[in-house]
Amino acid sequence: MSARPRPGADPIATQLVKGALRSAQLEMETLLARTAMSAFIREKKDFFVALFGPAGEMVVGTSIPIFGGMIEPVLEHYPRAEMQPGDLYWYNDCYASKGAVSHSPDQVFIAPVFAEGQLSGFALSWAHFNDIGGLRPGSLSPDATDIFQEGIIVPPIRLVRAGETNQDALRVFVRNSRFPHMVTGDIRAATAAVRLGERRLGEMFARFGRASVLEAFAALIAETRGVVARRMRDTVPPGRYAFAEAVDSDGQGHGPFAIRMALEVGNRAVLDASASDDQAPGPINFIMHPDVPKLVLGIYFLSDEPSALLNHGALAALDEVKTRPGSLLAPRFPAPLGQRGMTLMRTSAACLGLLAVATGGKAVASGNVYVIYYLRGIADAAGTRFLLTDGIAVGYGARAFADGIDAVYLVANENYPAEFMDLSYPVRLLRYAINPDSGGPGRWRGGCGVIREIEVLAEEAMLSIRIDGVTNPPWGVGGGLNGRGGRCTVNPDRPDRREVAPVSDGTVVRRGDVVRIETGGGGGFGHPFEREPARVLADVLGGFVSVESARADYGVALTKDGSAIDAAATAALRRTRTPAALFHRKVYRERME
Amino acid sequence: MPSPDPSRSAAVAIDVGGTFTDVTLLDRNSGRVWNAKTPSTPDDPSRAFMDGIDQALALAGIGPEALGHVFHGTTVATNLILEGKGAEAALLTTAGFRHVLEIGRHDIPRKANMYSWIKPKRPVPPERIHEIAGRLDADGKEIQPLDEAAVRAAARAIAKQGIRAIAICFLHSYANPAHERRARELVRAELPDALVSISAEVLPVFREYERSMATILNVYVMPAVSTYVARLSDRLKARGVPGPLLLMKSNGGVASAATARREPVQTALSGPAAGAMGAAHIGALSGHRNLISIDIGGTSADICLIQDGQPGATVEGRVGEWPLTLPMVDIVTIGAGGGSIARVTEAGALTVGPHSAGAVPGPACYGRGGIEPTVTDANLLLGRLTPKLLDGRLTLDREASKRAVADKIAKPLGLDPAAAARGMLSIIDNNMVGAIRVVSVERGHDPRDFALLPFGGAGPLHATALARLLGVRTIVVPAAPGVLSALGLLVSNLKSEFARTYLQRPPDYDRAGMEAVYTDLERAAREWLAEEAVPESGRAIARMAALRYVHQGFELTVPWSGVEGTIEAFHRLHERLYTFAQPDTPVEIVTLRVTATGSLPRPAPLELPKAGPIDAARIDRQKVDFDGQPIETPVYDRNRLGAGARIKGPAILVQLDTTTLVYPGQEGEVDRHGCLVLRETA
Repeated sequence: MSARPRPGADPIATQLVKGALRSAQLEMETLLARTAMSAFIREKKDFFVALFGPAGEMVVGTSIPIFGGMIEPVLEHYPRAEMQPGDLYWYNDCYASKGAVSHSPDQVFIAPVFAEGQLSGFALSWAHFNDIGGLRPGSLSPDATDIFQEGIIVPPIRLVRAGETNQDALRVFVRNSRFPHMVTGDIRAATAAVRLGERRLGEMFARFGRASVLEAFAALIAETRGVVARRMRDTVPPGRYAFAEAVDSDGQGHGPFAIRMALEVGNRAVLDASASDDQAPGPINFIMHPDVPKLVLGIYFLSDEPSALLNHGALAALDEVKTRPGSLLAPRFPAPLGQRGMTLMRTSAACLGLLAVATGGKAVASGNVYVIYYLRGIADAAGTRFLLTDGIAVGYGARAFADGIDAVYLVANENYPAEFMDLSYPVRLLRYAINPDSGGPGRWRGGCGVIREIEVLAEEAMLSIRIDGVTNPPWGVGGGLNGRGGRCTVNPDRPDRREVAPVSDGTVVRRGDVVRIETGGGGGFGHPFEREPARVLADVLGGFVSVESARADYGVALTKDGSAIDAAATAALRRTRTPAALFHRKVYRERME
Repeated sequence: MPSPDPSRSAAVAIDVGGTFTDVTLLDRNSGRVWNAKTPSTPDDPSRAFMDGIDQALALAGIGPEALGHVFHGTTVATNLILEGKGAEAALLTTAGFRHVLEIGRHDIPRKANMYSWIKPKRPVPPERIHEIAGRLDADGKEIQPLDEAAVRAAARAIAKQGIRAIAICFLHSYANPAHERRARELVRAELPDALVSISAEVLPVFREYERSMATILNVYVMPAVSTYVARLSDRLKARGVPGPLLLMKSNGGVASAATARREPVQTALSGPAAGAMGAAHIGALSGHRNLISIDIGGTSADICLIQDGQPGATVEGRVGEWPLTLPMVDIVTIGAGGGSIARVTEAGALTVGPHSAGAVPGPACYGRGGIEPTVTDANLLLGRLTPKLLDGRLTLDREASKRAVADKIAKPLGLDPAAAARGMLSIIDNNMVGAIRVVSVERGHDPRDFALLPFGGAGPLHATALARLLGVRTIVVPAAPGVLSALGLLVSNLKSEFARTYLQRPPDYDRAGMEAVYTDLERAAREWLAEEAVPESGRAIARMAALRYVHQGFELTVPWSGVEGTIEAFHRLHERLYTFAQPDTPVEIVTLRVTATGSLPRPAPLELPKAGPIDAARIDRQKVDFDGQPIETPVYDRNRLGAGARIKGPAILVQLDTTTLVYPGQEGEVDRHGCLVLRETA
């Protein structure tokens, strides 16, 4: 057993601090969800909270690889020595924060925490606000050509000085939103959560003493670091590995864009993404903070270690991350960033692809990129503006031990129930179903995406949509096939049917129009002919796989009524198995480059 | 229902646990109580149920004809849900929503790791979910008529599969149940023997996934609960018991067998709710109406905050993986108990629980083959437990505890065994403190304003340390901590809630419309009270409402006192719970609720004889490790302590089913009803 206590840290006290950190985090999350006003935060739950040590090192956060270096932007503008109890800092400035946030709607609020007269930690909340001005309602549009069209930019500022709020700054911000009441409510919720975290951290210092808590922080980070470093060593042998991933389109007629990664593991582990394509004219640019690829690997390596916290120690998989200024992953100011979610998810897939290369396929297949659409217009005769920002689930990649997850968006994010949609917006949700055959066939099937169909009840509205993974579907691994699907159609079953480009804005829809969005699935794992016929049958009965796909992709024939397996025909089909390769995207391929 | 016939003055409560079935018989006139314990019979729990009643009747020396009421807390529904062993059920859903369960809320849980998380299997697979055309809008107005032919076809398909448990949940049925009711008629016409539940009756509140799940879980547990309850009723009748069978619901009230058979999912938290009711009762008897109760058993701890004699309530509960958004007692359960196993992880972290050694093999000291160190082992090693439990029926092996703690914990961490054991207790106690904070601090209450009331086998052993961690100054240890759930059953009232989503947006609150909804709900409440045969004098009906700020997504429930008063109360509650109120922001009224209560006669409390000299109760002394300080500590027999007996810490009190540890600096007195009330002296 390699367990050895860290010198100086009391193992019992460390566990007590860990429990206190976890419950403080949970309490902050609950407060934020319960009190926020925009549906984006309260129903969809697009927010996170975290607690930090005095150097800005995270001690507990959420297992989601989209952030990094969150405290540093504040420390750059406000020296530690000048901070006071009761201060509260705020920013959403992607470029100034070097990618700590990567699109402007994400508002970061931070409070310093003092103990025994010294700066001892920070509490943070981070929430996606539904409208902060910009080109179109919702602030984000595939049509954006620079970041100024994506809403007001808040550089790191001190919103509250020793308990005294700068009301002027708040008024400027709120005046820039098309939905000032919601923004006001969301600021109250987000800052109350930070204040709660500040209080809980303060109580922790008071209870255990500053020195013990700081020792415990270090021990908790070391615990996480130990797991990640060991798994990285055990998983990735020394060598050089390369993987290329692609983003379909920038929504303005350009693409695909390649994300090219090389991982060199020797004495140090260095990830080099500089060979990625140049930045895009459209808003898919992603300021990749070096912590992002580190966190992808860190979270992956922590996946069967639930007792370790997600914290600064999770960054241990890589020693260095290189990007090239002017590229898709290091765009130059003021390139637009609003749809960076696509590039971010593809960056994750590329990191996992490197692991697949390094391990000969013993990794997770690629998941799809969560889909989002905006519908904006006038709701009623009184001229009330509405903005529907609806996130839609996709399928995740299959694993060596299980199918990919069906119909999920992202950690913690929830959907809008049909009854909530009907109650709150001038639309009617007509259909919400699993998208059959979207999961990549495999020994383990990729998760399926969904079909979401709405009828427009407003006189007129403008639709913006973002679906990736259509021309470059999520790859399968170890013989598994790629995920499928991804489409947006207006009036699919009528003569005036029209296709909507997967990444686009400006589509005008009118009362009675039906918008159908079909999202894609994740890649499969292992050869589909190795999947037990009973699982294939269950998938057919449940609406995940069609009879045709069962036959063509899985080599499983069903009886005429589709209710049972035709064993003889299945055996015959499965004798015709074609040779596989490590990856599959449209065709089997040994390398993704 | 309260019986004027003095010959039916006895009531009996049966709490069926995993290992033992506890039966408490009460003579309402004298307050006397007899307890019986019999091994549970999981293959047919009604056997142990009747055996226990017979034993208790024999102890009391009375016949079955004396039983005016039979109260029961059941885990049948809970276990079916947790173990995924309910009936094969089918669901009728609105066309287009066949995957309503599969998709759920489309989230990966916040605490989960996206690379290892597996979506839990739904209680009803999509092939048993049938889509029915017909649509209402959010106000309940029909947009498309119900496709009756499709309902009949679905019923026939369900019949062919041999399924008899059917849930019906259509969009917006909370606003208008007409389609669901008509579909039920059609299904019953095709399938007269089917068990059918409609969501408008189970949970008429918006959000279709949660409402569908509640309705499905209702039919999922219905066949087994129904059979079980029917069998109990038959056996009681055959035995000549005249009183009705009443079952504890998750909301802390009891209901008749007929109600429980119609809404069995209401019993999902039956057991823990009974415990909370018992704690509230005992607390009030000892003069403490503000309490935090903690029931610590072998594998888990159930915690509940009781304010002004009432256990907290919630409509955001979960059972296992599933949301169950019905009104229930607000109980937080964590995997922490006497059997919780301590481990050192690969990364060098010491964890305690949630895995438990259970009853078999049990803690290492039980000598039943357990080798993992448990919380009980740590307690024994530190001298906090006596070497004999259950009146000497169980002898504990202290050396085995020491070996387990030394090998599995102390060595890997480089500690001595006593320090390792103290560490284990610190961690489990802190886990429990965390859970106590959830029901107190996170709900806007300061735990120091409450007394702690421990029960269950391990409650009184940990409570004195928990109180110190929380800054709680008073601990109330009931006379019989092992049978508090049975006592909770005996003191319960009939209770049911009626709710409807009726969204009212400012400034035009439809006061007349709301009054009409309340009138409707109150009519339903009165009908229910009549069905339960509650006399007029014992009936109480109260109005509540769930409100939120415009644009918020979660509601807070407050007593109804007219529009303005209710809104004012909402602002105050929001401030208490969430640190701020927003009087500048308009408030929506979302759901109207009515609570119906039918009072049952209260038992006379037990009166304990006066205490004799304390030395007569002292039976032993042993060394106890109090936070690293070994102190010679007297051991008392709790049964020999009369009213007014004073105990000064350090002390150990033993009784049949629990051990109470009193720290130095704590003192207590036994009150006239047998509660030991401990206080910090410093």
